[in-house]
Amino acid sequence: MGLNQYMGMFLEESREHLQTLNRCLLSLENDPRNLTVLDEIFRSAHTIKGMSATMGFTAIAELTHEMENVLDLLRKGQLAASRGIIDTLFKCLDTLEQSVESIASNSEATVDIKPLAAKLAKLAAGKDEAEPVQAAAVKAAAPVSPVIATSSGITLNDTEIDVIKAASRQGYAAYEVQVGLREGCLLKSARAYMVMNALDELGDVIKSVPPAEELEKENFEYSFSVVALSDAEPEKVQQTLLAISEIDSATVLPLAIPDAASAQEVKSAAVQEDKPEAEAPAVKQDAPPAADAPSAADKKLRGGQSVRVDIDKLDTLLNLVGELVINKTRLEQIGLSHRLTDLTETIEQMDRVTTDLQAVVMKVRMVPVGQVFNRFPRMVRDLSRDLNKEVNLIIQGEETELDRTVIDEIGDPLVHLLRNAIDHGIESPAEREAKGKNPVGEIRLIARHEGNNVIIMVEDDGAGVNPEVVKQKALEKGMINQAEAEKMDAAEAVRLLFLPGFSTAKVVTDVSGRGVGMDAVKTKIESLGGMVDVETKVNEGSRFKIRLPLTLAIIQALLVKVCEEIYAIPLGSIDSTINITPGDIKTIQNQEVILLRGQIIPIVRLGNVLGVPECGKENAEELYVVIVHMGEQKAGVIVDTLIGQQEIVIKSLGKLLASIKVLAGATILGDGRVALILDVGSIMQ
Amino acid sequence: MAENTFDDRDIQLVIFKLGREDYGISILQVQEIKRILDITRVPNSPDYIKGVINLRGSVLPVLDLKKRLHLPPADYTEDTRIIIVKVEEIVVGLIVDAVSEVTTLSSENIEPPTTVVGGVSAQYLSGVGKQDDNLLILLNLAAIVGVGAEAGKAS
Repeated sequence: MGLNQYMGMFLEESREHLQTLNRCLLSLENDPRNLTVLDEIFRSAHTIKGMSATMGFTAIAELTHEMENVLDLLRKGQLAASRGIIDTLFKCLDTLEQSVESIASNSEATVDIKPLAAKLAKLAAGKDEAEPVQAAAVKAAAPVSPVIATSSGITLNDTEIDVIKAASRQGYAAYEVQVGLREGCLLKSARAYMVMNALDELGDVIKSVPPAEELEKENFEYSFSVVALSDAEPEKVQQTLLAISEIDSATVLPLAIPDAASAQEVKSAAVQEDKPEAEAPAVKQDAPPAADAPSAADKKLRGGQSVRVDIDKLDTLLNLVGELVINKTRLEQIGLSHRLTDLTETIEQMDRVTTDLQAVVMKVRMVPVGQVFNRFPRMVRDLSRDLNKEVNLIIQGEETELDRTVIDEIGDPLVHLLRNAIDHGIESPAEREAKGKNPVGEIRLIARHEGNNVIIMVEDDGAGVNPEVVKQKALEKGMINQAEAEKMDAAEAVRLLFLPGFSTAKVVTDVSGRGVGMDAVKTKIESLGGMVDVETKVNEGSRFKIRLPLTLAIIQALLVKVCEEIYAIPLGSIDSTINITPGDIKTIQNQEVILLRGQIIPIVRLGNVLGVPECGKENAEELYVVIVHMGEQKAGVIVDTLIGQQEIVIKSLGKLLASIKVLAGATILGDGRVALILDVGSIMQ
Repeated sequence: MAENTFDDRDIQLVIFKLGREDYGISILQVQEIKRILDITRVPNSPDYIKGVINLRGSVLPVLDLKKRLHLPPADYTEDTRIIIVKVEEIVVGLIVDAVSEVTTLSSENIEPPTTVVGGVSAQYLSGVGKQDDNLLILLNLAAIVGVGAEAGKAS
């Protein structure tokens, strides 16, 4: 019980807000006067601050607080969004991201926020020179009371006082809340949590005594104090708290902070209970415009109604649907053998329902690729700046949806491709001008549906890849020989890029050029059941095209039999099936091959590769060959019988058998037996 | 035998036979016991992995326990069972000659494994239990399933 159960939510929402911050900051950089964006940034930063303070992550709260100070000045136009400020804010985001991730990984390492906080403070103070009078006034007020002690002995530090001051300008009043729990209350931490939560809903919790962690551990008697911000009246706060069960008493007192702006109010407020009524409404009157605007915008951002669901639950749901599909297939088989009209009709009905159900579940698991694309603008900005290039990233089709499992994996390959495009593709502005191009390079990241696939393209209008250079390089590295090089056409030559250990970069930079990139991209995409290809024209640019399946969970497969064993070959990697006679098989350099439409195709005898116990079918007159492909490579797989095409649900073989290369998984057949799914790539090797 | 009152030090065991010896594993690790069913051979897997089965929609590996412990093989009979166990989040089936009973053993009656018991080397043992005149060989399932250590190495 306690805050820990909200950790997941905290992490997820923090990440989301950081993403928003990144996006907004980028648009702010392009349009420094855009107030709507600033407001959004402010809101996200504020939310992060509130959440982290409640969860007890003070470092994050402090940093976001300092950010808010700067943002506030920006918003009021007292500070211009200069490059220095934006850079610092970006650094803050990085630091926040690190902090959130270190919390996520449960690591003890704390990220040092001091230098950044100091820098922000300096930036905020930077306006002193511009407007010395006003700043001086604020400054004068602060040192007078660096630490404020409240009536219940809560002391507030500078930061916290600043927060309260900033909030009071927004129409939020600071309250000192004393909560007494019923004696003998059993779930103390739970009640304390509910109090904190309630206060959080009404506004913001600044501090508690004892601190949140102690409250969570139940290290307190039957009462505790909280300093909170709220735009609600004290009675409302009190009522809300008393509504929580096992709360015996709740006193809500306005907290007095000597502030230059609200000095008078403070004087009148004192620490008495009857006055706040007069004060709170007064503050409220000028508050509504400020308080209402963000909430309206919030609603707009949220869009339609949605539910956050744990991905594990969706996986379970998909598994169950998978089992249903298996049982349906089984029923179909029974129906076929019994030929009962009633039964067949019911089965047909059920078939329709399961097909719909399957489609819905698959759709639920779909996530827009925008989730991955979101982080790229920032990356492209940083990289192009590091490399002194000017790049404009254009993203299209970010609403295209892909299965969650694919989304999780696609990020890294895309990072590789984008880095390559910036580093090797786009030329330096001077070079571009010399070529008569726009000095600002353009990279397009495009996603779209194409049948049962999703296409993702990374295009740049840079230097392109010269096939001759690639050939030369491959020759030097001994990847191909002279004869092969001469035979190769341009497209084939460019594909050499995907070979392991290949790099055309003249200088190995921090960004790319170590020769692992493209190979890794290709391997990753293929492991996802996809393909990657490249088109390029010297001086015009390159286009990398990734083709991915919509889902990895249910696929079409060809079932084949070797002796008594049944195996499934994913249809996506099958070219065709042919019949041959043993005489058609030739041997070249100890490798069995066949000739298919003028192409030499190596032969794999599935029985041998899989060590299937012999059953005397080896000398058949007619052999069935399944022509499979992986990328550009082809191979013929000899099997005993072709059973047919079927939709199969992919099941994992589990940890114990994961190391077996030739298998990609298992599936359950209509009769309940397990059939293994072949990994075409490793069978061909 | 199974007493109605037992304290913390009592361990409940599922007792099964391999050859003529009695073996025991903690009942907490056992999920269910099945008759022998269709097993699909897995190519290129270690020889003690008999294959995979379909247990209500999940695909589980099945270990031939006698082969794993280097005991002489025997044909399957009416009594042959698959014990489904869960070891450190991995669910596997173990083929045994027969399952005899569930019994409670006080931890005082369990001794640490000596080097070799009943032809099974100590790394696969977690102890030897004494029950009346009988000796029960208690297996260390984590080592047998090869979690982490040598899983899949012996292909």
